[in-house]
Order: sequence, then structure tokens, then C-alpha cells
Amino acid sequence: MNYEWIIFLLLFLAPVVSSIPIALTYKSKEWTEKLPYLSVFGIFVSVLMSLYIFFSFPENLPACRFSYSWIPGTGIDIVLITDYLSRYMGVITAVIAFFIAVYGLDYMRGDYRPSWYWFFFNLFTASMLLVVYSDNLFLLFVGWEGLGAASWGLIGHWFRDDDEIAYVGVPKRKVGPLELSWPPSFGGWRAISTIRFGDVPMFFAIAAIWVFAGNLNISEIEWGTLFVTIGYAGTIILLLCFLIGLFTKSAQVPFSEWLMTAMTGPTTVSALLHSATMVAAGAFVFIKLTWYIEPWELAHIPVPGLEHVYIFVLFVGLISGLYGALSGSGMLERKVLLAASTMSSIGLMFAAAAASFWVGHFALLVAFWYMAVHAFAKASLFLVSGHLIHATHSRFLCGGLEFGKRMKTPFIVTIIATTFLVGIPPLTAYWVKSGMDEVMEHLIHPLGLIPLILLILTSLVYAGIMAKFLSLNFIKGEKPHHEHVEGGGLMKLGYLMMVSVLIYILFYLVLFRKEEIPHEFISAGGLLTSFGVGIAILACYCIALYKPRISALSKLGTFFNDRMYLPFVNDYILPKTGFFVSHLVQDYGNRGIDGFFNTKVMPGLFERISKGIRTIQTGYLTNYVKIVLGLVMIFLVIASIGGMWI
Amino acid sequence: MELAMAMMLGALAILTLGSIFSFKYRQFGFYAAIVALVIGLAACPGRSLYYGVFIFAIGIINLVSLNAIKSEIKGVDYGLVGLMALATMYIINTSDLAMVLAALVLVSVPTYILVMIREGGANVEVGIKYITFMVFATVLFLIGAIILAYTKSLPDAGLLYVLGYVMLVLGLSLEVGVAPLHEWVPDVFTSADPIPISIIASLAKIVPFIAALWILIYTANSLTASITIFTAVLAAISMFTGNIGALTSKEHARVLAYSTVANMGYVLTCIVVVPVVVVIEQGLVVIKPEFIYLALAGGLLLLFANAAGKIGFFNAIKGEGAYSPLMYMLAFSFIGVPPLMGFWGKLFILLSLVEVGYIWLVALLVINSAISIPYYVRLASELGIGWKANLTNFICLAVVVITLITVVPPDWFLRGMEVLAQTISIVI
Repeated sequence: MNYEWIIFLLLFLAPVVSSIPIALTYKSKEWTEKLPYLSVFGIFVSVLMSLYIFFSFPENLPACRFSYSWIPGTGIDIVLITDYLSRYMGVITAVIAFFIAVYGLDYMRGDYRPSWYWFFFNLFTASMLLVVYSDNLFLLFVGWEGLGAASWGLIGHWFRDDDEIAYVGVPKRKVGPLELSWPPSFGGWRAISTIRFGDVPMFFAIAAIWVFAGNLNISEIEWGTLFVTIGYAGTIILLLCFLIGLFTKSAQVPFSEWLMTAMTGPTTVSALLHSATMVAAGAFVFIKLTWYIEPWELAHIPVPGLEHVYIFVLFVGLISGLYGALSGSGMLERKVLLAASTMSSIGLMFAAAAASFWVGHFALLVAFWYMAVHAFAKASLFLVSGHLIHATHSRFLCGGLEFGKRMKTPFIVTIIATTFLVGIPPLTAYWVKSGMDEVMEHLIHPLGLIPLILLILTSLVYAGIMAKFLSLNFIKGEKPHHEHVEGGGLMKLGYLMMVSVLIYILFYLVLFRKEEIPHEFISAGGLLTSFGVGIAILACYCIALYKPRISALSKLGTFFNDRMYLPFVNDYILPKTGFFVSHLVQDYGNRGIDGFFNTKVMPGLFERISKGIRTIQTGYLTNYVKIVLGLVMIFLVIASIGGMWI
Repeated sequence: MELAMAMMLGALAILTLGSIFSFKYRQFGFYAAIVALVIGLAACPGRSLYYGVFIFAIGIINLVSLNAIKSEIKGVDYGLVGLMALATMYIINTSDLAMVLAALVLVSVPTYILVMIREGGANVEVGIKYITFMVFATVLFLIGAIILAYTKSLPDAGLLYVLGYVMLVLGLSLEVGVAPLHEWVPDVFTSADPIPISIIASLAKIVPFIAALWILIYTANSLTASITIFTAVLAAISMFTGNIGALTSKEHARVLAYSTVANMGYVLTCIVVVPVVVVIEQGLVVIKPEFIYLALAGGLLLLFANAAGKIGFFNAIKGEGAYSPLMYMLAFSFIGVPPLMGFWGKLFILLSLVEVGYIWLVALLVINSAISIPYYVRLASELGIGWKANLTNFICLAVVVITLITVVPPDWFLRGMEVLAQTISIVI
């Protein structure tokens, strides 16, 4: 097979190339109304290519690795991989992006800058596909940066900040010195600044891998040898640097704030951001890396730093999971509630993947399949949320049973998506979550009960917030001030297609036991403990459905709604610290720094050299000849002396 | 006589006839030069085909650009540029010292006449200034080359080798304008007509480097590694002098003159790399080709990028501006923004320097690339205007296409240079 490069080229370039016409015709209203269809078609081509790869390309090494020359002389090549993880994730990413794009045709109609939106939306998709299929870490990093740039463009899409509906938080609501309200322009800036903070150490980690391993292909690097070479401290520093990139992108504690304020972007962006790109990218890369590091196989090699790193990731994931779920329980903004729940889910993915250190390969499959189920469910919920915002012209949870009856399709989709996601037996996520319960049970021996307790707590609260979302939007919410329930055909089509995949996964892969899905999911689901947890989740879901708000706990809810005051770290403590440092520099260090770089030493040096260079240029040939002859003579004399000495 | 040589001689004959007939019909010279270049390209062997194609393209663009000036020797000037391009195509394929030096002279001498071309007369003052230094440079270069060739037959070359090396490098520096022997460059670049200068700053810079590189490789011995520090210091001085000079100059042609000084400093670093890989194994001199191909590829790509940029900018000066995006593309290539050609040239040179341990020179090259950003951007912004369908924009578009070729990563070029480097070691 030697045509595979055409497939890859179409996969990555079709979304980008198809969005260039709309980007170039940004001044023409007529063209910007028509060309979104071309952009969507570009993503559809990616869907076809990802499916073709899924069905036709090899899955096992080394046949599933495709290498093309890229940066000559460095050993850095374009290396793509179609292994188990990439082939599934590629299809998930492309399909979800396509469904959202179809929805976006309706949702973004009449927007004030469609060219900007479609170009970055398609770039976002292409970048994630690059991350998914890259085996080479440097190529992966290119896709990674593409995600960052596109997320900035999309989150800050409504950069004029002229519509309150795009804000996050209640305008003018202050807590202490801080106003807990964020406009879109701020959301975009915050996303890119947080992500850049993580990308820099990640880049250095990749450079260090290149130096020490001499190879950047994830599936080829001798990870065990690398860790032994760089030792205990080296392993910890290297992996932590890499992980900061993943944690910031996946909005894990304490880098989660950008994700909440990212809800200032269009809902389609939120849907893509939370399901198959961006936040999922961090967890996916960790799963992929661990897949090839195989830490459970390295137990016989003395690499003590590795276990500490995996313990760290496990607890960051579990704490993020609980933090996200608790924060979501107090939230009343549709999209921000879903954002908090995403953070929670991603935390669980990290935790499950990290547990592979003790449990082995199965833990990675649990993390990955939870990611897949979560992606379709969460994307469905976001798309419903966007439709509700259109219909009610409110970003806050509202809508009673009457409203629910008039919005039957989103109502039903929300029921399916939430129940299939939280882990109610025997629905889709139940099987995966049972696997997760089993994984955490395995950790009782090395790490005690805490991981399992944190997981169960998170799952219960998570079920509650999903039920709250359903209840306050369609059953027990306040009557919306504005109702516009007509239309939205393409929007409905988008989330109907999305949610139907959850049913597909349940029936055709889990219940009919397709061999690609590990049979351990079924056996884990059959365990009494898993069933017990599932019933507890169902109970929490039902209670929250019946009683979505508890007035006695309103103060605690507000505390959770304010993300336990974590925004103070981002918006108050960090800026204040920065200003303090800059004042120190201004008052004490600036004279020296400024004098050296800006006013005295460097400018003086430049001026003197420049003057010297210009002074020579008198325009007289005789002067030039004298200079040149003199210099040649001097050089020859030096060479003669040096030559004798050599 | 081998076929390639016969084709080259045929091409030279066509050039000569074209130049003669151009006294009657001027366009004869132009068409004859194009035919000669096509034959020259056909004579290029597979290993240097990409190199030949680049020289062919640069030669054609130089020929076309001559149409922007009403020269008194119109017709012959085409022949002179054709001759330079043919010699440039030929030099990479020869390992004969006499032919290498002949190619150097064939490229150098036509520029003595070209530099004097101006509309309605001859620029004699510039010509004298230029020729004085070129003659001096050629003499130094030739003596240095001959001394180096002579040392090959000596069991212990010692001082003579060092003197030969220094003379060759000084000759090269004077020829292409490496600081501190660059004094003629700003004056000639600002006083002469921009079109002939675009040829001198592009096509004429390639052969001296290849000639020097070839001679140094063929004559390398155990002393070479010790003496390369001289070239490294010279390269560093040239980078700083060129960039600071350009940064603090206002006249466009003068900025480009200093930019040439800086670029020649970058390319000179290739000379630093190549001889370092000469090692003695069991009493025999062995050329290790691992890094030669990197340095060669880097140096040539940088020379091509320099040629493309200089042609574009000088033509823009002549045409009082060119299409703004094209100007910016050329500026970005000069700065070294990926994936333009200037980036790859610098990258390969940096990689080869890293391999041979000249890390301080790598740092200086990177710092100098950063220093150059403001003046290239300023140049692009001042010379950039709206689109007009004229000769200037056509030429600028053509050179931008050349710099964009490396959007496809130049592994293909590198592989060609690798093959070439292996043939060098075989010859030795």
C-alpha cells in the first residue's frame, strides 16, 4: 500500500483548504453565507478518510507506522500511526466535528464574522486530527499549537463583548475586590495565556527527549532506557514538564479557570472543545504516551521516579474530578455547569490512565473508552444547551415542563445523554465506569481506599449535576422570559446524530460484545460492587431530578458556583504577584536592566560600532586600498607567526 | 571528450555567436543565452540536477531583469550573464583545479563590465573601484589556491599551508565582500545601477564559495582543524558588521549592501565546517562526508535565497517599488522564517556547526538573524506598494516562487548534496 499519504493529506488538509475560500471572501456577505457548506464538506472528507483508515489501515506495529521525510538533517520526520488508540480517536474526532459543523450551519447563521469562525473551526479539527495520528512528538506539538491558536480565535470569537449572553458569570457581581464576570475577549486571552504557560515546559520536555533518546517517535522510544539514563530526578523533571502541558490543556487543577471562561465562545466551539479536541487532547496524549511507556512492564527496572509521577497524576486527576463535580453542583449557567462536569470527567480519565502503572493495560482502555462515551454525550449536551440559549435567549438554566413539552427533541436528547453518561446500569457509561471502579479497587493494596472513595464521591455528585441540568432546563426550571421554539432543524439534526452514537456504542459494541471492546467491561459490570455503585448513582440522579436546588445549601452552592474562589488565583493573586515583581524590578532592578539593554551599554555599543563602520566608508578608493592592504598584511603576518607556532 | 563537456563548449559557442549577432539584432543575445543555459542544464549530471535547475532559474531571471535597463552594450550583456551562469553550473561537477579556477575567473571577469552598465553611458568610477578590488581578490585567491595545491605534494606543509589557507580565504572574502574587507561593497552597491548589482549580488556570489570549498576539501590536512578558527572569526565579524551596518543605514541599496556582507558571513561558516571533518586514520587523510553535505546544502540554499532576495529587492529599487506581499516574503526568507528557503539554508548550516562543535558560532548566527529582522521588515515595508502588472513584479514573483520551493522540505536537495559529498571523498 503506497497511496496512504494521499489519505493522510486529505485527512489533515481537507478541513483547512476548504475553509480558506470563506476566509478570503470575508468582505462578501453573499459568499460568506454560501461557503460554510464547503467548510463542512471539508470536515466530511476527513470523516471519510478517518473511516477509511479505520477499516483499511493496519493496526499493529510496525505496519501501522507511516514515516515521511520532514526536517532533513535532524532525524525529525512526519511519522503517523494508525494503532488502536489513533484509529478510534480519529473517527471520534472527525465524526463529532462533522456533527457539530452541521449544527453550526444553523447556529452560526447571521453571525458577524463567519469567515473567522469557519476558518478556525476547521483548523481546530485538523489540528486535533494531527495530534491524534502523530507518532512523532514534534509533529504532535505542531498540532498541539494549532489547537492553542484555534482555541484563542474561537473562544474570543465575539471579541466585541457587546452581548451579555456571551459572558460568563453575573455582570457586576463582586466578591471582595474581584468582579466575577468575564467577557469573550478575556476568555480567549485567558485560554491562550494558560495554555502557553504549559506549552513551554512541554516543548522543553520534548527537546530533552530528543537529546536523551535520540528519537521522537512515541512508539519507538526506549522509554525504560531513557528513564534509567536520566535517573530519578531527571525522570520526574522530564515528565512533570511534559505533564504541565497536558494539565493546562485539559484544565486540571489548578489550571481549570480558562475552561470556565472559555464558555464565552460560541456553543459549537464549547461542544468541540469539550468532547473531542482541546481538553480531550491532554488526556488522550497521556493515554497514548502511557500506552507505549508501558509502566507496568517497567516494574522490574529500578525507575523509582516513575511511580511517584503516576501517583501524582492519579491524585491530580481524582482531585480535579471531585473539584469539577462539586463546582458544577452549585452552578446555574448552562454551559459553565457542563464545563465543570467536563473537567471532572477528564480528571477521571487521567486518574484511570495513571492507575495503569499498577493495574496494567486494562486501565488505559477504561480511560480511553470513558473518553469516547463522554465525548458523544457531552457534545450532545452542549449542542442542546446552545439550542436552549437560542430558544430562551438566556445562558442560565431555565425551562419548566411546559417548555420541555414544546422542546421535545432536546428534552429527549438530554435524557439520553445524561443517563447514558453518568453510569446508570445498564446504559453505556455504566460498563466503562464499572471498569473504572474495578481499576480503583485494584489500587486499595498499593495506595489505600482514598482513590476509590474519591471516584465514587465524584460519580455521585456528577450524577446529581447532570440530573440538575435536565431538571432545571426541562422540568423544574423557571419559566423563560423569552421563548423561541420554532426552527433549528439542522441544530436538532446535529445533536440527534450525536446522541445516537451513544446508543450505537451500547448495543453494537458493549451488549453484543464486539471483540474490539474488552470483555472485562462486561464482567466488571456484573460485579455486585459495581452494580451497587450504579444503583447509588441512579438514586443520586433521581434525587437531583426531583430536587435540583436545595435552598438550605444555597451558601455552599454559591461557594461552589464561584469555583471555590479559584478565580482569585488567576485574576487576583497572580496579577498582584506579577505587579509586585514588576514594581520590584521597576524600583530596584530597572536602572541596571534598562541601562544595559535600552539606554546605555547596548545602544552605546551599537552606536560606536555603527559609527566605526560608517567612518570607514569615505568614498575614496585610496583609503579603501590602504585599509584592505593593511588588513591583508596584518592577517598574513599573524598567519605566518601562527603557522610557525602550529 | 565526454558528452557533458562537449555540450558546455557548444553552449559557449552559441553564447559567443549570440553576442556577435546581437550587434545587429539585440534580441539574438537574449535568445542565445537562454538556449545556452538550456544546454548547460541538460549537461548537468543527476547528482547536481537540482543545483543546476536553481542556477538556471536565477540565470533566466537575471537575463530577463536586464530588460529593465537600456544598456549601451545590450545584447553582449546577455552573453556575459549567460557565461556566468554556465560557469556556475559547471563548477559543481568538476574536480579539476584548473577548471575550478577557470570557472572562478569566468564568473568574475564579466562582472567588471556589468558593474559599469548604466543608462546612457558607462559608470567608470564605480568600475575602477570594483575592478581594483576584484583583481586584488582574484590574485590572492589564485595564489592561495596554488600554494594549497602545492602543499599536497609536501610531506610537512606547515607554515606554507597556513599561508595558502589564509590567502585563499582573504581572496574569497574580498571577492564576495566579507568584513573587514568589505569596503568596496556599500559604495559600489549604492553608486551602480540596481540591475547589474542584482546580478553581482546574486549569481556572482556562488562560484567563489564553491571554488574555495572544493580547494579546501581537496587540500585538507591535519592542520585544517586548527586554522578554521581564523575563518570562524572572520565570519562572525562579517555578520555583525553587516547587520549593524544595515540596521543603521537608510538608503535601500546601502542596506542591501550591508545585508550582503552579513549573508556572506553566514555562508563563510560553511568553510569553517568542511575541513574540520578531515581526520587522520592510520596515517591516511580521510574526509568524513557526514557533515560536508549539510554545510554544502546549507551554504548553497542560503546563496540561492540571497540571490532570490537580492534580485527581488534591487529590481524593486529600480522599479520604484514592488507588490508588498512579495517584498515581505523575500524579507521573511532573508530573516529565516520557515519554510522559506533562507530558513533551510540557516538551519543546515547551524546543524553542521553543531556537529563540529562550533556552538559559539551557532549562537552568534542566531543572534545576528534576530538583529536583521528590523531592517528587512523596514525594507519590505518601504519598498512594498500595490499590485501592478509590470516587469518588476513579474521578476519579484518569480524569485518568491524560488524561495517557496522549500515548502516541500528540501530533503531532495540534501540527498543530492549527500551524493555529491560522497563523490568528493571518492576523488580524494
